[in-house]
Formats: sequence, C-alpha cells, structure tokens
Amino acid sequence: MLSTEIEEGSQLMNPELMTLMELQDLRAQHRALSGGESESVEVEQFNIDPTVAAARLEEVIAELEGRLSPPVLKRYRQIAPNRERVVVPVIHGVCYGCFVSIPTATAGDQDVHNQVRTCQSCGSFIYVAS
Amino acid sequence: MKLRDLFTPESVTLSLEAESKDEILKELIQLLELDEKSEAILFKTLKRRENLGSTGIGKGIAIPHCRSLVVEELRLAYARKPGGVDFNAIDDEPVFNFFLIVAPPLEVSNQYLPVLGKVAQFAKDPEVPGLLAGLDDAEGFLSLLEERAP
Repeated sequence: MLSTEIEEGSQLMNPELMTLMELQDLRAQHRALSGGESESVEVEQFNIDPTVAAARLEEVIAELEGRLSPPVLKRYRQIAPNRERVVVPVIHGVCYGCFVSIPTATAGDQDVHNQVRTCQSCGSFIYVAS
Repeated sequence: MKLRDLFTPESVTLSLEAESKDEILKELIQLLELDEKSEAILFKTLKRRENLGSTGIGKGIAIPHCRSLVVEELRLAYARKPGGVDFNAIDDEPVFNFFLIVAPPLEVSNQYLPVLGKVAQFAKDPEVPGLLAGLDDAEGFLSLLEERAP
C-alpha cells in the first residue's frame, strides 16, 4: 500500500523534471562529501569513505544527466557549474532562485508539473511546490 | 535550538509497521506529511544516501538524513519499530529507533549539521535506547528530548 502511494507520486510529475530534482539532491549530497564540517560528520558518525562515496555519486549523476533531452541538458550544463541549485521551488508565485514573481499564467498553470520550465528572470528550472 | 522544538506529536510514531529498509524509509517520510510528488523524490534521495553507506549507527539506532529540494525548512521525524528491523547497520544488529532529518539545499540558519550532531549525541547516550523502548506515547518522546537533549 505504502509503496504504491509513493510510486504513484513519482508518476505525477514530468520524468525529466523529476530527474532534474534528483540531480539537484544528488549534487547537494556530493557537496556534503567534498570537505568541511558535513564531510566530517559523514566520516565520523556514519563511517562513510568520502572518496568512494563521491565517486559513486558522480557515476549516478552522470547516468541521470544522460536521461535529459538535449535542450534541457544544454540548459542544465549552462547553469549547474555556477549555482548550487539548478532547480528552485516556486512558492506562492515567487521563484526562490531570484525572489521575483513568476507570471500568474505560469505559477497557476495546472499543467506545470508536466513541463520543464525555467524562470524568465534567473533562468533556473522551476518546481511549483504544492 | 532545542531538539524538542523540531518535533511535533504528528512527526512521531511508536509503532512502525514496515518490515524492510525501503518500507521503513517510506513510512518515515509519510510522517513529514509532504505531497505525493515530494514523498517520491525524497524517497529516492534517502535511498541513494543509504546506498553510499547505511545510516544505522549501531545500538539499534538509525539516522536517515539528506538535503532535499522538497522541504522548505529543516524537518525531523522519529519512529520506533517494535521488534526491530534489518537496516544494514554498522554493527549488523536490528534497528529499533529511526530519526529522520531532512534539510533544504540551502538554509539561512544553517541548523542541519548541528542538529544532526545533536541527534547522534542523544541517540548514543547509553541510557536512551532503553528509555525509548519504554515510551508509551509521542508526548513521552518529546518529554524525553526535553530532559536528555536540552
């Protein structure tokens, strides 16, 4: 029952947007293993080998990037090197990448979960939070 | 920030039903009351984190954790599994107590790591597993945090 509910949730969203969000979270995990306090916590509390774990994450990130369509991949590669977040939430009609209001037509679009969209102001991929 | 202030009675359960690692993660995620899409993404992220190495730190405790876009602020949940479950913990023993920690990718207050450290410290208190096993309700868990993780 539980599995079905969560698996159905993954089918409600455009698969490419889902992949972008996964990439976003994996990049955050990768950063956490790249030095600093978070790496120490992973090593000391959870016995993680940061080098092995980072290499494993890089493999998964590359595999997921390979699932993106050429135009989305191109856009992703333009913004990913310079930003910690490639996908940003839109909350109450505001892009949380640049804090500029998203046009009502986009923010209120019922089909927004079925398309990959970018903020017209900052260019980040946007995810409309429920 | 006190750990007590990061939990609500709704984010605590003392009777997990799941019997496998994946199902445990899914049941934990449901305590955060996210929408279905967010639950699905969070499950994938937590699972990928577990694939790097189990968050079962031994002595019956696991602390699944990650940063994820699906939360806007630091979110925590606690669940107890009577009888325990195999979670590939460091000591290969069953896990009875699960502390879920999810933080947004970027936090203004930067509480994620200090909270992760506090939860680990609380969980490693030698008396805590016994006290958790004796809890009767969620309020008891919150009182225990108040007392042992000031």
